[in-house]
Parts: sequence; structure tokens; C-alpha cells
Amino acid sequence: MHATTTLPQRRLAGDLAIWFFILAELLAFGVFFAAYAFARARHAAEFDVAQQALNRDAGALNTLLLLSASALVVRAVQGAQAGQAGQGRRAAPWLLGAIVCGLGFVGVKLGEYAGAFAAGVSLSSSVFHMFYLSLTFFHFMHVLLGLVILAVLWAGLLAGRYGPDNLNGLESGAAYWHMVDLVWLILFPLVYVIH
Amino acid sequence: MSSTELNPTHGSPGRTLAVWFGLCVATVTTWRLGEQAGGAVLTALLLGIALVKGRLVAYEFMALRHAPLLWRALLSGWLCVVCLLIGLAYWKGLNP
Amino acid sequence: MQYKSQAVAKPYFIAAIGLFVGQIVFGLIMGLQYVIGDFLFPALPFNVARMVHTNLLIVWLLFGFMGAAYYMVPEESETELFSPKLALAMFWIFLVAGALTIVGYLFVPYATLAQMTGNDILATMGREFLEQPLITKVGIVVVALAFLFNISMTMLRGRKTAISMVLLLGLWGLAIFFLFSFYNPHNLVKDKYYWWWVVHLWVEGVWELILGALLAFVLIKVTGVDREVIEKWLYVIITLTLVTGIIGTGHHYYWIGAPEYWQWWGSVFSALEPIPFFAMTVFAFNMVNRRRREHPNRAATLWALGTGVMSFLGAGVWGFLHTLAPVNYYTHGSQITAAHGHMAFYGAYVMVVLTIISYAMPILRGRAANSNKAQVLEMWSFWLMTIAMVFITLFLTAAGILQVWLQRVSTTPLGFMATQEQVSLFYWMREWAGVAFFIGLVVYIASFFVNGEGEGQAATR
Repeated sequence: MHATTTLPQRRLAGDLAIWFFILAELLAFGVFFAAYAFARARHAAEFDVAQQALNRDAGALNTLLLLSASALVVRAVQGAQAGQAGQGRRAAPWLLGAIVCGLGFVGVKLGEYAGAFAAGVSLSSSVFHMFYLSLTFFHFMHVLLGLVILAVLWAGLLAGRYGPDNLNGLESGAAYWHMVDLVWLILFPLVYVIH
Repeated sequence: MSSTELNPTHGSPGRTLAVWFGLCVATVTTWRLGEQAGGAVLTALLLGIALVKGRLVAYEFMALRHAPLLWRALLSGWLCVVCLLIGLAYWKGLNP
Repeated sequence: MQYKSQAVAKPYFIAAIGLFVGQIVFGLIMGLQYVIGDFLFPALPFNVARMVHTNLLIVWLLFGFMGAAYYMVPEESETELFSPKLALAMFWIFLVAGALTIVGYLFVPYATLAQMTGNDILATMGREFLEQPLITKVGIVVVALAFLFNISMTMLRGRKTAISMVLLLGLWGLAIFFLFSFYNPHNLVKDKYYWWWVVHLWVEGVWELILGALLAFVLIKVTGVDREVIEKWLYVIITLTLVTGIIGTGHHYYWIGAPEYWQWWGSVFSALEPIPFFAMTVFAFNMVNRRRREHPNRAATLWALGTGVMSFLGAGVWGFLHTLAPVNYYTHGSQITAAHGHMAFYGAYVMVVLTIISYAMPILRGRAANSNKAQVLEMWSFWLMTIAMVFITLFLTAAGILQVWLQRVSTTPLGFMATQEQVSLFYWMREWAGVAFFIGLVVYIASFFVNGEGEGQAATR
């Protein structure tokens, strides 16, 4: 028997509590997505017309920004995991990059909203617009919360709080951010593209 | 030695770069496909791309590749159910 | 008892239980009036009995929350209460004001009561659950402010823990949202709209924070699990509660004239309200399984676990049953609502107050736990009341389904009173389940009077 062979131990990256929270969030978004899809089934033509007026370029750009932010967050976690204990600060610039990408998302989204409101779009203007505003705004709030979390993690990295011996907080925050990204990957094709 | 040192849960930088690049290509594809006239095939294709992208983020970025089966199943299950429900609703929209 | 001033909790707990008995008596009277319409008429009309039943519930739960806060906050803050005298004074003011209000309900016609108490200066009366005369409402605000001042000053002076912060947030929210009971616009839509800011944001918002904090406190005490672990779960639970609960207010806006998007927002978010309750159940069982000590007070642990399960069933599952707009279109205001209301209030708020009383009362009486005999009796009362409540809920649900069917779904719908005749069998069964509940309550009170001294400390498994 090769008792010394170390099979990598299966492990959930981040705290169980944050994963429970992520599941709850996914459930909320899942229900909302399904509600959108089934509401569309009843008003397909109306949805398609209203959807054409959305800024698909802005949506795609925002997808790229979120994906890049997520990849940079992964690099930050890798950096903290690879470094010596207390040397996590070297990974801090990666997280700063992620925050910049996230702020880019916020900027693009605000521009999009300004255009929509100028065009008279509101929660009551149509079923599609109700969903468009509700879904994207609900997600937008998550991006803002995610950015606050990333900022706290960044400060933690600078303070040397995270390292291979202490990854739990960093991994938990990172997992939350990836969830925000994951949800957008469904939201973008659903609301902006599929018709 | 702690298990995290033996097991680099979060993969290598090269792998992350490759995943990121793949996700970007998929995003641009989705974006360009938006120009096409809609239909069952296109919808299925777009949902398929979304599913693959979601799985990549869950497994690579959220490090579920190294997570216990239960959690991989929960996240994959969520993705599949959501994409299936959306697909079903769109199919219903085609044949009202 | 670690701090002398915690003793002020005792009268609050005793008053709470006393008013609880009153609530159940009026519940039984009303239950009988459902099937024997002129029972006690004209001395006690149904609408008055109902008002007393619901108002007593709210008042005794408030007594319970206040007592719990007076007990918990000194211990969490590691300091004596800012002013035990103020706490006792407020107790008597609240008790007398509450008693006078009930006497007013019972012996003065409601319209006369309104005239006598200045309702023509500022009209706030006549709305479900907020029937209190103006002076009582002002009294509640004064008592609440004095209470919050006392609790906040205590906390400022001492250690600030996550649990006491969550408790304080819940209590402040409770006081702030009550202020909307003074806002009574003529527009019926707006009237209902803001009425829910008190009713819904209390029971599906800030009260849940109080519930979470009380449960977390008792679980730390009886399980000895690390505070950090418990606090982490508390954060997750309150975040989920606030997000689903606040936006979930929309499930009351479906048919009152509010914009249509509330049907979507309300359906989606209120459908998720069971999640924090589910998390609370998982949390309670998880902590008890990971316990590091065998606390001699097994009854308190049972109540804590019961709170998790019954709040999930009553508030979570029974709420979900009729929260989606297309379902609620049929079930709105039927006996299904009554079923949900009964189990949710019992499972979440009654049980959490009984949990803290079960934990704190023996300590207030100078022992870590009651004798084995007293605990066994208390656990009997737990099962009697809980099972009786399950049956009350099931019978009301059956009545509600039949009612919806006969009155709203059927192609030849019956009128309201004709339908009530048809479902009277379920009302009888509910009344008998209510009697069983009352017996459970009597057993509960008896458990305070059997010899509690003695082997209590040694009572381990």
C-alpha cells in the first residue's frame, strides 16, 4: 500500500456559511430568471421588440469586465496561497485590478441606466422593462456589495492578514465575487441576447 | 504541513489565463450571435454557451474542481435547472 | 445570574405568561363563536374577542422581548443595566396601560372608546392589529423609547457583541416601524400600503432579527459552541432575512391598488423567505450537535430546537403555500391565512420567548436548571402545545382549502356565510385542538410550581 501518496484532499474554498449564502443567492436569481423566461413566453413579440432597444455592446463589455475581475481575484488568491505566511500583500495589486474592473462595470451600467431613464423606461412601462430594470438592478446591488467585499479583502492583503496559513476570509469573499460573475453570465444572454 | 500547501486548490496562473481567454472568446461569440435572427437553434446554442461558461467559472474560479461532490452537484445542478427552465420557457414561446 | 440587574426580566416574563393565558382564553371563545355564532353575544361580540386575542398576543410578545433584552444585554455587555429603576417603572406603566386598553375594549363600545381617547384629534384607530386608542399608542412609544434608551446606554457602557447589536437593531426597527401606525391617510391604497410597514416589517423583518439574536444567545449558553461560529451564522441569517423580508413586503401589495410589478417582486422575494428560517433550523441543530457541554437545562434546548423547526414550518412552508400571486389570487384572506398566522406566530415568536424564559427563569430563581421533575413537565407542555398547534394549523388549512374551493373556484360559488356552514366540522376540530393547546399551557404553568430545587444541577443525560 502506498500510504504516503497524497491524493489532494477535497475541500470547499471558503467558509461553509458563505457557501450557504451563495446558494440562497443563486436560488433567488434562478427564480427570477425562470419568472422572466415564462413571462416572455406569454409576451414573446413584445419582449423581442423592447429587447432590440437595449445596448448589447454595453452588456458584452460588462461581461468582459466581470470575467476579467474574476480572473484577477483568482490570481490574488493564488498569490496569497503561494506566498509565505504574512506575505499576502504581494497579491494585493491583483485585487486592485479586480476592483478597477468592477468599477468599470458600475460606470458602464450607470451610463446604460441614464440612457434608459432618458428614454422614459420605468418599472411600469412594460413587463419587459419591469424585468430588465429589476433583474439588472438586483444584480447591480450585488456588484456594489461585491466591490465593498473586495475592498475589505484588499485592505486585508495590504495589512498582511492573508497567507497560505489563513485563506478562509479571502476565499470566502472571492467565492462571493465569482457568484456575482456567474449570475451575470446567465443574465446577459437571457435579457440582452436570446430572442 | 497544512493540506493547502500540498493542494494548490486554486490552480496555476497559466490555467487561469487560459480559462479567462476561453470565457472572453465565448462572450464575444454570444455578443456576435445576438445579431442573428432568433430561433430554436440559436437559443439552444446561446444557452449551451452560457452553461459552459457558468461551469467554467464555478469549477475553475470558485475552485469547485477540488470541492466535495455535494457542492459540485449543487452548483452544476443549479446551472442545468436554470438553463433547462429558460429553454423550456422559450420553447413554449415558440409554440404558444 | 451574573448581574444583579438582570432580575428586572422576571416581572416581564411573568406578565408575558399571564397575558398569554388571556390570549388563549379569548382564542377559545372566538373559536367557539365560529361555530356557535351568538355565544356570549351581546356581551362579547366576535370582533371584540378577535381584537383582544390579537392585541394580547402582540403585547405579551413585547413583554417577552423586553424581558429577554433586560436579561441578555447586561450579560452580553458584561455590565449592570443602565437603570433597573427605569426598567421597573416602564414595566408597571406598560402593564397598567395594556390592562386599561383591554378593559376599554371589553366594556366600552369601540366608537365611544375612540371618542374618549382623542381619536378625533389624530385618527389612528379602527385598523386591524393597530386598534389601540391614541393614548395607548403614545404610551407604547414612550415605553419603547425609555426601554431602548436603557438598553442602548447599557450597551454603550460595556462590551459590544454581534448578538446584542443584532438584537438592538431589531428592537430599534420595531420602535421605528411602529411610528407608521400614526400615519393614517384617507386614500385607502396608501392606508393599506403603510399599514403593512408596521405589520409586515415587524413580523417578517425586524422581529426576525430579535428572534435570531435570542436563539443565538441561548444556543451559545446551552451548547458552549464558539461565539465566532454562532455569530457568522447569525450574520448570514439576518442578511437573508432582511433582503427577502423587506422586498417580500410586496406580497401584500398584489390586490390593494399598488403598481403591478409588485406581483413579481412580491412573489419572487417572499417565495425566498423560508430560506432564512431553514438556515435557522440547520443552525440550531448543527450547534446542538457540535455542543461542547451537556447543559443541565434540557428543556431550554428542546424549546430552541422547536423554534427552529416550527418557525420554518409555520412561517416558511405555510407562508410559501399562498405567497405566489397566482395562488394568492384565490387564497387571499381565507382560512389558509389564519392557518399560516397561527403556526408562524407560535413557531417563531411564542416559542422563542418561551425558549428564553425556559433558559433564564431557573437562573433568575437561583439555579442553573429546574429539577428533573419540573423539566419533564415542561417538556410535556412543549409537546402538548406544539402538537395541538400543528393540528390547529392542519384543520384551518383544510377549512381554507374547502373554503377557497366552494367560494371561489367552483363554477357555482357559494356565498361567504354559506361556505362557513360547510366548513364548520373543521372549525369544531380546530376548537378541540385549541382545548388541547390550553391544557398544554396549564401544564406549562404547573411546571413553574412543582419543586424546582434539588437534583436540577445533576440532571444530565
